[in-house]
Amino acid sequence: MSKHPPRWADRFLEWYCHPDLLEDIQGDLYEMYERKIALKRPLLANMLFIWYVFRSFRPGAIKKFQGNKNSITMTGNNFKIAFRVMLRDKFNTFLNLGGLAIGVACFILLGFFAKRELSFDRFHAKSDKIYRVWLKEVYAEDKIFFNSTTPIRFENLLEEHFGEVETAVQLLPQNYLVGRGDDRDNEVVTIVSPEFFEVFDFQLTKGNSSQPLTSPGAMVISESHAVKYFGSDDPIGRVIPVEIGDEIRDFNVTAVFEDIRTESSIQFNMAISNVIYPEIFSQGTMEAWFSIAPETYVLIGESSNISTVEAGMQEVVMGYLSEEVEEGVYNIGFQPLTDIHLNADIPAGIAPVGNRDYVYILGAIAILVLVIACVNYTTLSIGQSLKRSGEVGIRKVMGALKGSLVNQYLSESLLTALFALIVGVGASYLLLPIFNDLTQANISLQFETWHIGLYAGLIIIMGIASGIYPAFILSRLNVTAILRGSGQSKRNHFIRKGMVVFQFMITVFLITSTLIMNNQLRYIQGKDVGYNYSATVSVPLYPDPSASRFLERLKTAADKGELLKEKLSLYPEISNIGKGSHVFGTSGWARMAFTDDNDVFRRFRYLIVDASYFSTFDIKMKAGRGFEDGSSLDEKQSVIINQAAADYFGLKSPVGSKLPSREFGEHSIIGVTENFNFTSLHNEVEPLVISQDPMIIFSGVSDVGFGDSPVPKLVFRYEGSSLLGVREILDKEWETTFPGEELNFTFVEDDMQQQYAAENRMSRLVTVATILSIIIAALGLLGLTVLVINSKVKEIGIRKVVGASVFTIFWSLARSFSTQLIIGIALSIPITWWLMTDWLSDFAYRINIGVVTFIISAIISAVIALLVISFHTLRAALVNPVKSLRVE
Amino acid sequence: MRGEHIGELEELVLLAVGSLLDKAYAVAILDVIKQSTNRTLDVTAIHAVLRRLEKKGLVSSSMGGATAERGGRRKRYFTLSQSGRQVLDDVMSVRMALYNKMPKLTFAGI
Repeated sequence: MSKHPPRWADRFLEWYCHPDLLEDIQGDLYEMYERKIALKRPLLANMLFIWYVFRSFRPGAIKKFQGNKNSITMTGNNFKIAFRVMLRDKFNTFLNLGGLAIGVACFILLGFFAKRELSFDRFHAKSDKIYRVWLKEVYAEDKIFFNSTTPIRFENLLEEHFGEVETAVQLLPQNYLVGRGDDRDNEVVTIVSPEFFEVFDFQLTKGNSSQPLTSPGAMVISESHAVKYFGSDDPIGRVIPVEIGDEIRDFNVTAVFEDIRTESSIQFNMAISNVIYPEIFSQGTMEAWFSIAPETYVLIGESSNISTVEAGMQEVVMGYLSEEVEEGVYNIGFQPLTDIHLNADIPAGIAPVGNRDYVYILGAIAILVLVIACVNYTTLSIGQSLKRSGEVGIRKVMGALKGSLVNQYLSESLLTALFALIVGVGASYLLLPIFNDLTQANISLQFETWHIGLYAGLIIIMGIASGIYPAFILSRLNVTAILRGSGQSKRNHFIRKGMVVFQFMITVFLITSTLIMNNQLRYIQGKDVGYNYSATVSVPLYPDPSASRFLERLKTAADKGELLKEKLSLYPEISNIGKGSHVFGTSGWARMAFTDDNDVFRRFRYLIVDASYFSTFDIKMKAGRGFEDGSSLDEKQSVIINQAAADYFGLKSPVGSKLPSREFGEHSIIGVTENFNFTSLHNEVEPLVISQDPMIIFSGVSDVGFGDSPVPKLVFRYEGSSLLGVREILDKEWETTFPGEELNFTFVEDDMQQQYAAENRMSRLVTVATILSIIIAALGLLGLTVLVINSKVKEIGIRKVVGASVFTIFWSLARSFSTQLIIGIALSIPITWWLMTDWLSDFAYRINIGVVTFIISAIISAVIALLVISFHTLRAALVNPVKSLRVE
Repeated sequence: MRGEHIGELEELVLLAVGSLLDKAYAVAILDVIKQSTNRTLDVTAIHAVLRRLEKKGLVSSSMGGATAERGGRRKRYFTLSQSGRQVLDDVMSVRMALYNKMPKLTFAGI
């Protein structure tokens, strides 16, 4: 043959194949191989050959292996001996088991967290054929509107023009008041297309499960909401009133669906059909190209490719829009459903987007901790090999082969791994509630069949990885050398020390990272953001139910807020009551855009306040003055901007000047504030404009976007002794001002915390991993010291007799560990620095990684190491030499 | 038909062995099946079926002469045994009997 199939596969075939069958099977495989070679497909030929070799590996073709029976009995015997060894040296078993079990627990908890993040939205059977549509309008370099929500008409366009699209569906969550009379609740009601449940696998458990949403009066609710509204009654056919616009409509429950799992980006509890759209949206909204509201998902056919739809959709839309916009302005794209949760490049639609890097880092840490645990076992076993060498010598003299010795020691490590897994998995199930509570990770360890495979795999990997090296060292020992009683080779020492250094390095790396993360989080949470938000409470107000126009809604809510404010001001604990359209701790402050008199497109954030808002939050003025209470001129015409806005608009002396467009209403800038961080510290301070009368601004802007509702919130400082007091007061005064509405209030501090939830969670998860890895490393170190000391009992005795002090002896024992620790610390610095710089770059405001952090973590690890070492060393150093020398 | 039940693939391979006379070895069988039914099978599946058939005594095998191709490895030729032929005949007769009982036209959907 000119070309030969892969040798290793061929050799594997020759090894396992029954000799009677080998020749013709091999011949047939060669023949198939040559055919592919003749077709000039060498790669395919090789792949197929390997595939066939493995496919031929079936019971009928495998030869009878000699000696099978003996190795089976020996395996049983090996495990028996392994079990006895574990029982004999309980302290060591405890260390080995403990270390591995902690490693397993950590691996499982972090691993399942990472797995959950990565498996978001994959539970839909057609998840790889579902795409979400995004829309990117590019008008200029800095005038880009990128959204993953789309115009309403996209659904029909996609279905009409593309055979590849099986179904297009939309979903639009809306905030409605649900219920009647005193029993109203603010709920998110999601408006979805009738075919929604055909595309996504949300299980309908009761009622009409084929077409629950064909009529405009139909509603489906989740199981938990069925219980919430109807208790144990049958919810099908029951009525739920919803206030949409200014009328209350009755919806009939047609079906109930299983509560949506947490690893779904799409979350809702109540859904109605979008056949209702024409009744709640104007014709203009329904046909608008530049109004974005629902998320649009398409399900494409089994054999279709999304790229054809993508290209085609662009053309279809340009067919309608060619007169209005230029080529390249209106861009449409499609994003796979499974990509939504962790792709931060595409803006979040309705669900928040996670950070893929965090998931990978946590996954890597999970594996690292497991590796530390295995290394721990290895170093301890090598250390113990001295003790076991007598046993090995006798076995060898009795005729044990190297292979059978390796088997025996691997049995030991496999058995340890098995026990460690049982303990570790048990512990992680038990500790799960605490872990979830601590880290807000929200993972569940529902048992699934594939876990068996995972656990079996873990046992084998841990058992072999941790046991293979000591097994070979032990089995390689020279019989005569052992029985004569000489020690170990230098090389083993070197490798063992290397492993200890590795362990130290990872642990110190984790310690330093935890310190840096906590410092950064403390820094951003304690940074002077430019306003004082401690003990401030925010209460969302409600517009009058009869108000329908936007400005009317703002106005009626503000008026009612004024009533509440008067009542609250009678309480001595409550002070500085103000109102504002937005409150700190969210990223949804209103965005406005306009084209200024020089034809430059400008954007800013906008806040509507009353005169007291500034004093509530103690916002400092840099120039000019704040709003004056009761001044009607300020109410109608005054505008305040922040320093960033002054710089951005290019206003040299802002006070007394105007915003740079004639379109704005009659106004004048009366003050400039310091740059306070009104959104999270991930972002720099953006230009901000503040006024009391929204008409000044609304008349001059071309684009308006509200992340959060601009309906005003009442804010005040609360100085009561107990936090519960504020609820009592609000409960008492709320009902008379807002009958029937739900009272929701929050402490601004909590909302501020919420902005850093992802970072807090990451930091907590890493802290957990750090503590666990410290424990593992400490156990390992303890084991090693015990070993070293046991082998030096006499040396210590003699030294004492000759007159060494306790400290000298302690130092002589601790010295080698200290060197290893120092090397470990030194090696960890570059890794930590590199990874943490990367993590910190997500923040616009960040700490510097100082030398101090490294020094602190070095001290922490040194103290822990010394404590662990001294625990045993001091005892050995204090022992009366008479005792230690008498041992024989 | 008592005693010997054979599967669909087994039947196909058995027929192929019968039709190839004395040229029946795994790769040739694979090709015949590919030609006549357009089914692409895995050569290792054919091996397994042949081993099973031989165990049941439906085919017998012998090694052919050396060849220059296929790395000088000999081929294993299979021939239909008496009982193999019997099984095929039985299968065919059962099929024909049932087939003949059918009316000449189907009236589904009326």
